[in-house]
Amino acid sequence: MKIDFRLNGAAIQVDCAADRRVIDLLREDLGLTGAKESCGAGECGSCAILVDGEGKLSCLMLAAQLEGREITTVEGLASEGRLHPLQEAFVEKGAVQCGFCTPGAVMASLDLLRRNPNPARAEIREGLAGNLCRCTGYQKIIDAVEAASKIMQRRERP
Amino acid sequence: MTQVLLPRALDELWDFLEEDPNTAVYSGGTDLLVNLRGGRINPSRLACLERIEEIRGVRDAGAAVFIGAATTHTHLLENSLVSSEFPVLTKAIRVLASPAIRNMGTIGGNIVNASPAGDTLPPLYALDAEVEIVSRKEAKRMPVSDFIVGPGRVRLGANEIVKGVWIRKAPEFNVRHFEKVGLRKSQACAVASLAAALSLSEGGKIERARLAWGSVGPTVVRSAEVEEALLGRELEIQMLAEVARLVERAVSPIDDVRASAQYRRIVAGRLLLRLAESGCKN
Amino acid sequence: MGEVRRHKRHSEGALHIGASTPRADAYAKVTGAEKFAADYYSSDMVWAGVKRGAAPHGVIKGIFTDEACKAPGVIAVLTHRDIRGSNRQGVVRKDQPVLADKKVRHCGDAVALVLAEDRETLLRALDLIRLDLEALPGVFDVEEALKDGAPLVHEDNAGGNTLLEAHIQTGDGLTAFERCDEVIEGRFETPWQEHAYLETEVGWAQQQNDGKVVIVASTQTPFRDRAEVAEAIGLDLEQVRVIAPYTGGAFGGKDGITVQTLLALAALHSNGRPVKMWWEREESFIAGTKRHPTRLYYRLGAKGDGVLHALAARLYFDTGPYDHLGGVVMTLALEHAGGAYRIPHALLDAWCVYTNNPIGGAFRAFGVTQVTAAMEQMMDMLAARLDMDPLELRLKNALTRGEKTCVGVTLTGSTGLVECLERVERHPLRTERYAWKAAAGPFKRRGVGIAALMHAAGYGTVVPDYANAKIELTPEGKIRIYCGVVDMGQGNASANAQIAGSILNQNMDSMELVLPDTDRTLPSGSASASRCTYTFGNALIGAAEILKNRILQKAADLLMAPSTDDLTLAPGKVVNRATGAQIPLSRLGRLMAESERTAISHFRAPVAKDRLDVTDELRLHGLGHAVISYGAHLAAVEVDEITGAVEVVSYLSATDCGRALNPQIYEQQIHGGICQGLGFALFEDFRVEQGTVKSPDLATYIIPTAPDTPNMESLPVELHEPTGPFGLKGVGEIATNGPAPAVANALADACGIRMFRLPMTPERVLLALRGRETR
Repeated sequence: MKIDFRLNGAAIQVDCAADRRVIDLLREDLGLTGAKESCGAGECGSCAILVDGEGKLSCLMLAAQLEGREITTVEGLASEGRLHPLQEAFVEKGAVQCGFCTPGAVMASLDLLRRNPNPARAEIREGLAGNLCRCTGYQKIIDAVEAASKIMQRRERP
Repeated sequence: MTQVLLPRALDELWDFLEEDPNTAVYSGGTDLLVNLRGGRINPSRLACLERIEEIRGVRDAGAAVFIGAATTHTHLLENSLVSSEFPVLTKAIRVLASPAIRNMGTIGGNIVNASPAGDTLPPLYALDAEVEIVSRKEAKRMPVSDFIVGPGRVRLGANEIVKGVWIRKAPEFNVRHFEKVGLRKSQACAVASLAAALSLSEGGKIERARLAWGSVGPTVVRSAEVEEALLGRELEIQMLAEVARLVERAVSPIDDVRASAQYRRIVAGRLLLRLAESGCKN
Repeated sequence: MGEVRRHKRHSEGALHIGASTPRADAYAKVTGAEKFAADYYSSDMVWAGVKRGAAPHGVIKGIFTDEACKAPGVIAVLTHRDIRGSNRQGVVRKDQPVLADKKVRHCGDAVALVLAEDRETLLRALDLIRLDLEALPGVFDVEEALKDGAPLVHEDNAGGNTLLEAHIQTGDGLTAFERCDEVIEGRFETPWQEHAYLETEVGWAQQQNDGKVVIVASTQTPFRDRAEVAEAIGLDLEQVRVIAPYTGGAFGGKDGITVQTLLALAALHSNGRPVKMWWEREESFIAGTKRHPTRLYYRLGAKGDGVLHALAARLYFDTGPYDHLGGVVMTLALEHAGGAYRIPHALLDAWCVYTNNPIGGAFRAFGVTQVTAAMEQMMDMLAARLDMDPLELRLKNALTRGEKTCVGVTLTGSTGLVECLERVERHPLRTERYAWKAAAGPFKRRGVGIAALMHAAGYGTVVPDYANAKIELTPEGKIRIYCGVVDMGQGNASANAQIAGSILNQNMDSMELVLPDTDRTLPSGSASASRCTYTFGNALIGAAEILKNRILQKAADLLMAPSTDDLTLAPGKVVNRATGAQIPLSRLGRLMAESERTAISHFRAPVAKDRLDVTDELRLHGLGHAVISYGAHLAAVEVDEITGAVEVVSYLSATDCGRALNPQIYEQQIHGGICQGLGFALFEDFRVEQGTVKSPDLATYIIPTAPDTPNMESLPVELHEPTGPFGLKGVGEIATNGPAPAVANALADACGIRMFRLPMTPERVLLALRGRETR
């Protein structure tokens, strides 16, 4: 079926099976391999994307559900070669090790910061509770989100 | 390939359901798609309810509140009417799965899924919530405890869906407590949980008590014996430890990969002890 | 494939040792641009998948593939009959079939391989394959497996179900217990631990027109894989190329073959089309290797003043049906069984045993995690018996440089256990522990526990532990490093850039990394054993120094300087300090011949010189190491008396891993190790009943999430290791060993219960608390 939606800021139409998982559509059909699959069952957060600004799991969504939505993947965050402040903080604070959970953790952090622009460390931990990471012990991810929240707030002030 | 339908209104949904009775209905997909992947279900078509406005959102109906079935957990968590009237529900949702799952999963899904470990269920039982069931022809209500008959089993006929849940406001309850015991702090399936709504008098005596346990029986457990035993007493440890023994008898847990029946039984009782802290605060 | 990685960086300055330079790989990973093995797709790609026996033990009577072959979209269905080579793989002993032929020996054994047009077709075809298995009685317990008459996992194994056994006696052995004032005993059980890397086993392969099979795989061991693949399926070594991108986590679980051989076999039958295989999470859990479960019997004797005198230990390792690295894991555990303590008399016995359980294999810290969990609890039990402070007891017995471990290995390198313990001793988490414990809220008990750690690096005395580093000044003026050791997420590729960049005085923008590729980079051993930066870094220093001299000489020639004395490298150029003349590296790169602008250096790690009274077999399995890291950990825990849940509130570590080349990467390794150790201590309970996995996914196998993880402090104790690159020792594994004993000791401190079985789940803790009440 034909499905119209916006992907990383641009309108797009895809023609695919209605029940194709969004993760497969993104990775296999559209070549956007930033979102990762690690469990296929909503337990790990690696496949997180933003749907109309909300963090959702692309392994638990079917292509038909994208109709009319605004989709953001990790590939859509940097603009004109400049990293999003959250990405910048992940790099600088050492939040990236093997990196397979990183795109999902970045997307979950965006969802968190949209709802709570100035979270306490414990709130950041809760916000990332669905994103399993096997390398970092989470501490530097928390550091990165904390640092990014301060930078993003500063930028948003006039 | 399975067809995926996106009805915008209930009338459209009824058409779909009548066309093919083997159409599976879902909203967040956080259970259905997991079951599909595991090969446990094989519907001929899927209908996603996420765009039907009539069954989304929270409505203040005076003495009661209506929550549409397709309302996401995150929406409920951020809703001030829910958190002020039913803090026990908010507390449960706060520890439900993970943020992304809360962004997708819905309260209707949690009810219809009817897992004994469903995190919203103990609060809904403790709040005496009623489920509204609709079909093209009729709408009816029944207590959630009647609606759910066993693990994964509910009283839902062909071409019926859960439209939402009604919860009566109950300001007289001044202790609203929820605790989930899992194998880790977040993203944990409940090994046992307790939702409690109590009215304490100014003197600290329990005047009303509603308690509901999750994951310690085929459905959420309430016990009239336990609730009566609490009436007229004060929230202190010795008394709660005595009543905990009644709880151990009232529940009927099983062994599974997460915990033994023995542990669930013991913990179900011991969770009462935490109420002593509420007693101190009041 | 095999492309060169360039890095976007913002800092202008040259790289230097000791700086927390952000990792070279972080930019591409955080934008989603980095291509992991999982991210390889191509048009016209075939999906390959495996039919598994799904029975713990049975004779294969028949494999019926006709229906699957006939299904539309199925390209090929292969069994052992389609394999021309040895059909055997394994790191030490080649005892694992690629596709099972006579028997299945655990539930994950691969029996048939299917190639299909897409994943849906693949799954349907796998379902159509029927197996006729004659069930055999299985063996699922290590001690049962050693009894006469136990079912045999490998009928042709001379030792029955014993893969490897070892016995080491030092001093007077058991008789020394007669002279002890206190003797403590303990029986410990540790479970399987699943690596649970986020990227499950995955790869992509294609046979080229010239017959060569190119494999891109998530692996720690591309060079060893190449040899194993070639032998198993009957190809020449030159016909196999293995490319190893950054892995999405490995931790030992990709130390050896996972998908590689199956993929190569599939590529031989796909008519030249590329093939992808990606194990689902459940498949990874069932078929992948795990940390070996152990049963450990300990007896520790001391004099009345706390001086350790004798140790006896019997260690049983369940390796499942295949060696994989079981014998080597057991041997490293044996070497660490007595910890970093002066124990003059010891008798240590160990068995690595075949069973029909899942396969035991390498997992970060390689057997040492298990024995440390036991030995460090024994130390606290002894301290309690002697009414001594546990830290004081450890300090009293801690080994220092020049002394021997209880198996007789002399500590010749830097030895910082005492310094690590002293750092913990002075820390507020320890000095203020009584006040903190007293402030516990209702239904809470608090406790503080410590553990002392040692962890040896490298392959041991016999297996050569070497690296070959290659570095190049490109015609574009960039410095290209040919990394021989896989970066599985630990950041060694970045460390390589930092090492070479510091020697050549270049910034990150000038560095290019070629990741391991058997056609392009040089053999340098596995990404394992805390050896990556130590061994490859040493080789790279040599190569970078050679290149530096050549660049300076060429620059001197061109600038007509009398010698290189006045010349110095600066970012992007060479400068004559005397004249101010400059020459860009890009010009030098164009003017130098390839042989001139390319440098190679070899390094071989030092080995223990002790003449240990052990079998050659044990030496071959690695006994005796020369480079050892040390650590001391402290856990502050709060126990909930209502539920039995244990929360680790704060965690402290002090680690002697020599010089930290990049403190940020050092912390990453410590944090990650602690978190995996906490999982092992508290959450991770891989359930297997009669050979069947009962926790097959991330919903039932519980690993720590962000809210479960404490704030961690990681103090570096930077003693200079003379043999290390810039004084470094390995840091990849040691931290994993601390949490289980530190948390167990904290739990004992909090409420007087001793947990002999891991993990310390709320259920086990609550039942232990109730047991204590009723006693």
